[in-house]
Amino acid sequence: MICRSRFFASRFFLGTLIFVFGLAWSGNAASESIPRRIVSLAPSITETVFALGFGNRLVGVTSHCDYPAEAKRLPKIGDFMSPSLEVIAAKQPDLVIGVAGATDPARAREIERLGIKITLVSVSSVSEILSSFKHIAALLGDPDAGATLVEKITAQFGKVKRRIAPAPRRSTLLAVGLRPLVAVGGKNFLDELITLAGGENIAGNASQPWLNLPDEYVVAKAPQVIIQAGMGSDASRPTRQWSDLKSIPAVKERRVYTYNSDKILRPGPRIGEGLEEIARLIHPECFNVGKSRGARGSRCEGSGS
Amino acid sequence: MKVLDRKKLFLVNSILLALLVLSAAACTLLGPVRLDLSQALTHLFSSNPDAEILLRARLPRVLLGVAIGGGMAACGVVLQALLGNPLACPQMLGVSGGASLGGILGIIFFPNWLLPIASGRLGEISWIPLAAFLGALLSMILVYRFSLFHGRLHPYHLLLSGVILNSFIAAVIMFLNSIVDFYQAQGLLFWLMGSLSTRAYLTVGFIWLYILVGFLWLWSKGVSLNLITLGEDAAMYLGVEPGALQRQVFIASSLMIGAMVSVSGMIGFVGLMVPHVMRLLIGSDHRLLLPASFLAGGIFLCWADTFARILLAPAELPVGIVTAFFGGPFFLFLLYREGRRSLGL
Repeated sequence: MICRSRFFASRFFLGTLIFVFGLAWSGNAASESIPRRIVSLAPSITETVFALGFGNRLVGVTSHCDYPAEAKRLPKIGDFMSPSLEVIAAKQPDLVIGVAGATDPARAREIERLGIKITLVSVSSVSEILSSFKHIAALLGDPDAGATLVEKITAQFGKVKRRIAPAPRRSTLLAVGLRPLVAVGGKNFLDELITLAGGENIAGNASQPWLNLPDEYVVAKAPQVIIQAGMGSDASRPTRQWSDLKSIPAVKERRVYTYNSDKILRPGPRIGEGLEEIARLIHPECFNVGKSRGARGSRCEGSGS
Repeated sequence: MKVLDRKKLFLVNSILLALLVLSAAACTLLGPVRLDLSQALTHLFSSNPDAEILLRARLPRVLLGVAIGGGMAACGVVLQALLGNPLACPQMLGVSGGASLGGILGIIFFPNWLLPIASGRLGEISWIPLAAFLGALLSMILVYRFSLFHGRLHPYHLLLSGVILNSFIAAVIMFLNSIVDFYQAQGLLFWLMGSLSTRAYLTVGFIWLYILVGFLWLWSKGVSLNLITLGEDAAMYLGVEPGALQRQVFIASSLMIGAMVSVSGMIGFVGLMVPHVMRLLIGSDHRLLLPASFLAGGIFLCWADTFARILLAPAELPVGIVTAFFGGPFFLFLLYREGRRSLGL
């Protein structure tokens, strides 16, 4: 009951807003060309806008937007899953950017109905992420910034590719949750990052981007590397949770690692760094060349392939 | 009161027990990946993949499924009798909400902490079920306190305080879910949906012990449960003290539910549906209904979990989806058939 009446109240409030702002905007619609007041509906979008050099145009971000540090000080418009329409409208943005598939489409339509321009960018593959940078840069009136950012990330990708080139592919499990086990499946940019990092996703043939995997599947697929979200105090001893499944090569050879950063998980401008982080975990020997040359087991070469 | 038909008791339960054993064996052999049984048996205790799939990934899970399915169904039976309400189910008691909240706080505050048993020699168990069980105990005390008047637990109050505590806790959980970070929130949702995934025999053993003791104790109250379904006053004239029975059954089933939800999350539908199906099939004498529901619940959840592992392989479905999907239509069919029969159609 309470929810419903609040819902109607917000509808009414919105109706009024549409009317008021509709009047206000109809006047300067023509002069509106380059957005100056941007609201971001996802942490990756916030990072992208900052990376393109337009962080100062952001007037609202989600409560999950914590990178770069300046983003934390920006006004919040609610969380990633449920941004507040009222707060967004009150910021009087001339552009709202969300993520297709993550931003609630119904909410996006309501924002549109308020007369606010909203763009949803697709980020489900690496190429889509890269074109989202160009797309956002073009919207902000600076296509060159987008091209520069894409160039920078492509260079980072190239660097990783050269590093791991001699190494054999290692089958990899990338887990975002452990209880229950939630892994990266196919149709997910992280699946591509695993491949680019010289790994092979053991759940890559799944049609879901994220999936709950039964333990027996992991045993059967015998990953050589396990990379898992590390939270809490146990991150230092990641192998422990798998210690009863010694037939898994990753467990036997102690190649279970934790990652602790959004760099890996966010489809934003840090995917180059994220790729390097994944590659370092899958092929640590390829990144320690200077430090431990000649040490046993630290060769980075394709003996296995 | 009809005399218990011992032949029927023996026959029904031995058929169900045989089915349960067969189901457990079949479910251990079935799964999204192929299991080479001869490989598994020859390398039983070494680090062979087939042996690990059999002994680590599947067997504990099947054993847990049987225990939870049986326990949920048995609790459903006694709660429906005790509260005189056909909609009563283990998820309704407030205890399950408390366990969920405890578990979620556990996931948020000590996600990967493991507690060594006998300084690590007996393995390690996660903190999360312990936190969940603590939550279950606290909510049980709350519900108990709010429904106890003059030494009697009032079914009406018990039901309402349980339902309301659950809704309150659901709100707290949604609040927590919206303040933790995005990936953690996804993890919480997955945990809430319930899963029988486990590799810890220690946990499975603990749950079995717990549920068996609780079940046997409830079974011993079979006659009193039969009488209480006639109404409190009638039961009292027939020598049952309703107050004591209510308190004991409530505490026993709450403890069982708390332990089950702590380990496997909210697996719905088994506790609601299996008792009704068994009542339709074999009648409502609790001396027979309780063990039969326990065994049938075990069979049902065991298969439901196997389907959950196989249907969308390699992805695993939340088992609650499978229980509702297969159980719901079957139950409606039985209800319809029984309705026609009672009307002489």
